[in-house]
Amino acid sequence: MATARPSSVFISPASLKMGALVVFIALYTAYSSGPFVWVAMMSLRTTTEIAADPYALPWPLHWEKFASAWTDSNYDAYFVNSVTVVLAAVAILTVIGGMAAHCFARYRFRFRGVLYFVIFSTIIFPPQVTVIGLFQILVEYGLYNSRVGLVLVYVSIQLPITIYILEAFFARIPNDLFDAARIDGYSEWSIFWRIALPVALPAISTTIILNTILLWNEFLYAVVLITEDDKRTLPLGVLRFMGDQLEDVGMIATGLMIAIVPVVLIYVFFSERLIQGMTAGAVK
Amino acid sequence: MSRDVNAPATAHAEAAQEAERDHANPFSAIAIFLLPALIVYAAFTALPVARTFYNSTHLIVPNRPAEWVGFTHYVELWSDQMFWKAVWNTLTWAAVAPVLEVSIATLLALALYAKVPFSRFLRVAWFTPVLMSYVVVGILWMWIYNFDWGALNALLRAVGLGDWARPWLGHPDTALPALIAVTTWMWTGFNMVVILAAMSSLPSEVLEAAELDNCGWLAKLWFVILPLIRPTLLNLVVLSFIGKMKIFDLVWVTTQGNPLWATETVSTYVYKRAFQWRTFDLGYPSTIAVIWFVIVLAGVLGLTFLFRQRDRLEY
Repeated sequence: MATARPSSVFISPASLKMGALVVFIALYTAYSSGPFVWVAMMSLRTTTEIAADPYALPWPLHWEKFASAWTDSNYDAYFVNSVTVVLAAVAILTVIGGMAAHCFARYRFRFRGVLYFVIFSTIIFPPQVTVIGLFQILVEYGLYNSRVGLVLVYVSIQLPITIYILEAFFARIPNDLFDAARIDGYSEWSIFWRIALPVALPAISTTIILNTILLWNEFLYAVVLITEDDKRTLPLGVLRFMGDQLEDVGMIATGLMIAIVPVVLIYVFFSERLIQGMTAGAVK
Repeated sequence: MSRDVNAPATAHAEAAQEAERDHANPFSAIAIFLLPALIVYAAFTALPVARTFYNSTHLIVPNRPAEWVGFTHYVELWSDQMFWKAVWNTLTWAAVAPVLEVSIATLLALALYAKVPFSRFLRVAWFTPVLMSYVVVGILWMWIYNFDWGALNALLRAVGLGDWARPWLGHPDTALPALIAVTTWMWTGFNMVVILAAMSSLPSEVLEAAELDNCGWLAKLWFVILPLIRPTLLNLVVLSFIGKMKIFDLVWVTTQGNPLWATETVSTYVYKRAFQWRTFDLGYPSTIAVIWFVIVLAGVLGLTFLFRQRDRLEY
């Protein structure tokens, strides 16, 4: 580090402060991104190579590991399950969350404040308080161990935050727009579908991206409600694979990368929207 | 109502019709827009919560009708050592992690606010961990903490501190701090982005005024920037507190509460009692959930009240 150099006599306090800042930033960056670099390298190396030296560079690159993880370890089924469940849940969420948010923002009616508060307050509920009851109810409905049941549960857990983000945006759309539409003879539904939704597209896409990522990573409800292997989502599949192949570090790393890559791609393409969504609840 | 009415009876019907025809707030449209969300909410949130409260005073065993046991579970919970251990661990987590996350995040945000080079890259690098599933994060950090070839021990050995190398998740004294380090790793970048957003929206006049007054950067930070972004910081603390009170996935993937219950959290304990221990009783875990619900609620309300209170005292 800078202080150990013999030329430190010539270092002014200002550059020392600068040096401390650089060291701090470098250390933190290594801490935050080092693990990814490591798992990305391991995902392209075989377990024997990793056992020989866990930190060597991936050479030669074993791309075929991704293909074999996909076909031999049931990752294709897990991946497809995750994609279907998440897409279905996000589609339903966007429509019914959008409808409810539009309603809260647009109309004045009795119990409006109470209903909004009741829905919003579930954000702080610890999941335990719903998960046991949900388990019993889904068993009774015949929705236990079913992807449909999981989709409905996912809709319900993300509904409050979706309504919260969208309501804030809908409320800012000027009323004149709706009055004009009404004069033009639009029905209430087409006002929502053809005016409110398109205008609110930025907020809608924010919630879509946020919900996609959070549900893609969801674990607790999935592990309680899904036990059959062919219905598992990716997080459950990765964990199961981990349990089966404890020693096969290289293959597990490949599985982890399969789970990471879609999220990173979403982040790369939609980083601003995503950050907006994730911070929506935090900044007032 | 603008129209004249003759008889009270018709007035009532007319009022209803009027409400129906209320152009600004048509009842049918409100019902249609709200119903789907309310149905989902009632069926998959409200009903399960009610069910859990009901469970907590019953013995729920498969293939038998629920048996009313009064507050037996609550009494039993009072002397349940493992429950209190789990509460202690979770509260430690929820007390330590928000402070670590928000303070480190403030430093990082300041660095970016001061426009260090590569700030775009740094923001991405710091923010990315929060996007990962706890399953991925858990497995990854199990490897990092591995005694034989984990990155942390390899690093310690490389810099000559080989004596410090240990199975971080395998020892009761280090397991919980090690997991707290993981959540800090995950969430600090997120907090940093929020704080940076708050800093960027500060009114520039105030900052310029501080500079005109020849205010040093430390004084500027302490007396101008931090007080102005205080609401954001407190929000983040509450948010992080709520998140840590719920924590389940990370513990479940890495240690499942071991070693010696050193990392047992309330969530993992509820899960174990409900779905793992084969006691077949869902009543007792529901009681834990109810009590925990009350504690979380009290914590959130308490924190909000505390922060409000301080506001009032200061200004």
